[in-house]
Amino acid sequence: MNRRQQIKLTEGIDWPIMGLYMGIVFVGLLSIFAAEYREGDNIWYDIIHLTKNYSRQLMWLGVSAVLATIIWLTDSKFFTATANLLYAGGLLLLLLVLGIGKDVKGSHSWLVIGGFQFQPAELTKLCTNLALAKYLSSLETDFTKLRSRLIAVSLALIPCAIIILQSETGLALVYFSFFLVMYREGLPGVLLVIAFSGIVLVLSALLVDKNILFIIFSVITALVIYFSRREIKRNRSRLALILAIWAFCSVFVMFIVPFAFTKVLKDYQVRRIEVMLGKENDPKATYNTRQSMIAIGSGGFIGKGYLKGTQTRYDFVPEQSTDFIFCTIGEDFGFLGSVLFIGLYVALLLRIIFVAERQRSTFSRVYAYGVASIVFFHMAINISMTIGLAPVIGIPLPLVSYGGSSLMTFTMLIFIMLRLDADRQMVLR
Amino acid sequence: MWRVYLCFIGMVLFGVAILVKVFTVQNVEGNYWRSMADSLHTRYVNLDADRGTIYSEEGRMLSTSIPYFDIRMDFAADGLRDKNGKIFKDNVDSLSICLSRLFGDHTAAEYKQILREGYKSKDRYFLLKRDILFTQYQQLRTFPMFRLGKNKGGLIAETKNKRINPFKLLANRTIGLSRQNAQNVGLERTYDEYLKGVTGKRLMRRIAGGTFVPVEGYDIEPENGRDIITTLDVNMQDIVETALMNMMVSNEAEHGTCILMEVKTGKIKAIANLGRQPDGSYFEDMNYALQVAEPGSTFKLATVISVLDDKYYTMNDQVNLNEGRWQIGRRTVFDSEPHPGQTNVTVKHAFELSSNVGMAKLAYQSYSKRPNDFVAHLRKLRLDKPTGIDLVGEGKPVIKNTKSRTWSNTSLPWMAFGYEVLISPLQTCMLYNAVANNGTMMKPYLVNAIMDYGQPVKEFEPEVVLDSICTQSTLKQVKLMLEGVVTNGTAKALWSPYYKFAGKTGTALVANGSRGYADKIYQSSFAGYFPANDPQYTCVVVIKNKPHAVKFYGGAVAGPVFREVADKLYAIALEKQKPMRATLAIDTLLAFKTGQGREWKEILTTLNLPMQGNVNNNSWVSAKVDDKKIAFSPVQQTKGSVPNVTGMGLKDALYLLENAGLRVIIRGAGKVTNQSIPGGAQLERNQTIVIELS
Repeated sequence: MNRRQQIKLTEGIDWPIMGLYMGIVFVGLLSIFAAEYREGDNIWYDIIHLTKNYSRQLMWLGVSAVLATIIWLTDSKFFTATANLLYAGGLLLLLLVLGIGKDVKGSHSWLVIGGFQFQPAELTKLCTNLALAKYLSSLETDFTKLRSRLIAVSLALIPCAIIILQSETGLALVYFSFFLVMYREGLPGVLLVIAFSGIVLVLSALLVDKNILFIIFSVITALVIYFSRREIKRNRSRLALILAIWAFCSVFVMFIVPFAFTKVLKDYQVRRIEVMLGKENDPKATYNTRQSMIAIGSGGFIGKGYLKGTQTRYDFVPEQSTDFIFCTIGEDFGFLGSVLFIGLYVALLLRIIFVAERQRSTFSRVYAYGVASIVFFHMAINISMTIGLAPVIGIPLPLVSYGGSSLMTFTMLIFIMLRLDADRQMVLR
Repeated sequence: MWRVYLCFIGMVLFGVAILVKVFTVQNVEGNYWRSMADSLHTRYVNLDADRGTIYSEEGRMLSTSIPYFDIRMDFAADGLRDKNGKIFKDNVDSLSICLSRLFGDHTAAEYKQILREGYKSKDRYFLLKRDILFTQYQQLRTFPMFRLGKNKGGLIAETKNKRINPFKLLANRTIGLSRQNAQNVGLERTYDEYLKGVTGKRLMRRIAGGTFVPVEGYDIEPENGRDIITTLDVNMQDIVETALMNMMVSNEAEHGTCILMEVKTGKIKAIANLGRQPDGSYFEDMNYALQVAEPGSTFKLATVISVLDDKYYTMNDQVNLNEGRWQIGRRTVFDSEPHPGQTNVTVKHAFELSSNVGMAKLAYQSYSKRPNDFVAHLRKLRLDKPTGIDLVGEGKPVIKNTKSRTWSNTSLPWMAFGYEVLISPLQTCMLYNAVANNGTMMKPYLVNAIMDYGQPVKEFEPEVVLDSICTQSTLKQVKLMLEGVVTNGTAKALWSPYYKFAGKTGTALVANGSRGYADKIYQSSFAGYFPANDPQYTCVVVIKNKPHAVKFYGGAVAGPVFREVADKLYAIALEKQKPMRATLAIDTLLAFKTGQGREWKEILTTLNLPMQGNVNNNSWVSAKVDDKKIAFSPVQQTKGSVPNVTGMGLKDALYLLENAGLRVIIRGAGKVTNQSIPGGAQLERNQTIVIELS
């Protein structure tokens, strides 16, 4: 290989993202190692024989490196050209899982290929992101039209629906992060306001007695009507709107939420939400969160030191290589470590948004926003659930949690973005 | 662009929220969470080590631990509560029947009632049955519902070890007790350090539902206790215990002890301690052998050794018995039987008659000027010190001297016949044993060795306390006097035509608290050794009679016990001697060991020796030599049973026994003459076999 080619090979790479990516992956490996390693283990034996999660994660990292290299060597146009095809393939794969998938811990979302378990729901995030980018960037799309908006929203929600059918609710929720992307591309802010109000409504329905809520709504409505009486005089439909909102809120709080909680959601999901809200005190139900908070809380300001955390090392925390991997960091490195660790993510996210904003092509920008949204959603929800800020939703911490599907998906997400960024002078459709 | 900024702001806000929460959890609430860590969720549980076994000298178990189980049920177990208790309802009937059949203490209907009540209470720790045996537990685990295990079937089995003494009463107090809530006694206490092993530890952590599960990789395995091999001999112990028991029962005595000591070594071969229980039965309730009391006439041995050794008298010197009454100071010495007409007798005869007057006079006339010389002599005989036996609870003997507060001018004569001193029967035994052992005083001991998996880790050798308790001439005279007691003294009735023995009777009035000597409680004793010409064993019997007992003389109460023990041991010794000499004769001619047929064939063909009998190459054969012929006969070995190794060399015997999974304890060298579990017996795991070679 001559020098010219070599320069060409790494040309255009965004080194800050590359560095942050490697840093986070390295922290992840250390954490999985800390969660699993016991004094006296033969590390080299475990690594060679893939007997431990950290050794397997090391293997997946190798596979990811290969994938990243392949992506880096691929032409950017390939991604725009195949985006829809990939999306269709992803949907097929999801449907296939519904048929021949395997149950792992109650979720019917795994494919077994040659002894390896694989979760297509992870991969379809990538497909959906590409497809959404492709659709939003196409010249025919006018995102101010309702039709285009509905198409874009369905692009995101169709895989989400299939994944809910697979009982993998956590990953399905991730698809809502695409709303952030669509918001950036012009989806009216009202939608976000409505969504936010919806969440507030649900929470208040759970926390406050429904009759009291009804009274509160009525009082607010009355006040609103009183203060806007002049406007109402001018415009009768305003009153209708206010009354409609009042009626909807009341029905939502008094009937829909209780119905959803008793009939639609699964028992454990209701419990997890109640745990988060502090309504549920059954030690069995709060166990995961409590253990996780004990681990993180006992880390204190500077932590117990690497490999010194007793809570994680004695297997108190469940799923500590995957969903609760943040406990290891919190316990071993304390508040300082947690801040630095979250700082890495924030830096990554900000850098991705920065990169997104410098794109010329809508495709690349939308795609980069998608990456940022997905990473942000994963990171925020995952860490929040370990510290009791969000209900326990089984989604991994990007690039850190143990798991081949997740690591490979995030690697591909980021490296496709790096590839697109390197070609940002090109206009991609 | 405002949308972009809003995205930035949203992300940053969320990040800040997370950081604030992390900070709260780790620093504000940190102490709370830290206090929840480790301690509340982990705990160490002890893993009990198996307590070692106490063996008799010939390898029989005297005290061992066997597992027992407490059966409890977790009625809140997930499996039992699932689907409205389907598993419970489906199985409760069949389980009740099974339980009723296994234990037989309740009917099936009653068991069903018990189970249903438990189920209703949702008790997580419901006691179903205590102390069931391992075999029962094995069956129990196959019962409906229980076979589903803890989470589904709710079965909780707690193991505990119980100490049992297979020989029940035999030497019970000496072997001792190992108890949960009280101090151990006996050998169990003295050797507790070795027997108990090292308790292991296991880290348990709590999981959802409040149950604890072990954390893998954090176990400290318990180190099992070591075994101890005592000097006790079960056969001898049986003889001693039975003899004492018979006399105790027939005489309704209060308590008694009988000690049997091997003369040459000081080993305690048997020790019995019986006390009368409120219900009239007898039990090994106290170590009477170690308790100090006024010894009475058996102490006269010390007096005569003293006066003879200090050369005030010889045994043929005369002493005036004053017809059994002698006033000294304000007190009068009485002989226990009046001796009318006995005025001047030899010292020897005074001893044989057990005359208190005689002994008092000997001591008084020898030592009245320097009473402390007598005390010094008693001290020389080690009577003022505990024997140092390896048992806890030995009483502290009291030998007064002239400076003692209670010393009076009658102390010296009274001490001469065994009053105003306190010593234990074991001390008496040690003194008599020294006489039997040609003046060498041995320390009594109870444990031969401490074994770890069949290998001795500590062995105890006989210990000489005093090389010579007196001069040879004194010793000779004392021996004659002790033999005289049996031939023409107070123990004349015990005389045996078959062997000679020597000893001394003792009859002492025992003070009964504030009532003094008025209740006429007598302590009868006999101390002696046999056979007199070549002493093998020393035996001391002390029996405290009930008030106003008809029979109370040492010669009539304690003596017969001694005689019975001696008779039986003598008979056993004779039996043992005969075949031993016979086999030795053949052995010295040509030493043959049982071995593999192939090997024998090769040797004999090489040596060109004639052989007889069918020799199969792969079987074990024993050989017999008569008149230059060598006759072989096959030795049968059945699989699954204890191999017959008698006649084999150590190599072959060990090979067979250890392959069969036995622990082997080896005594002696040569070829196997005796195996503690006979060949062909049912093989059990972890059995210990003792093989004797010579």
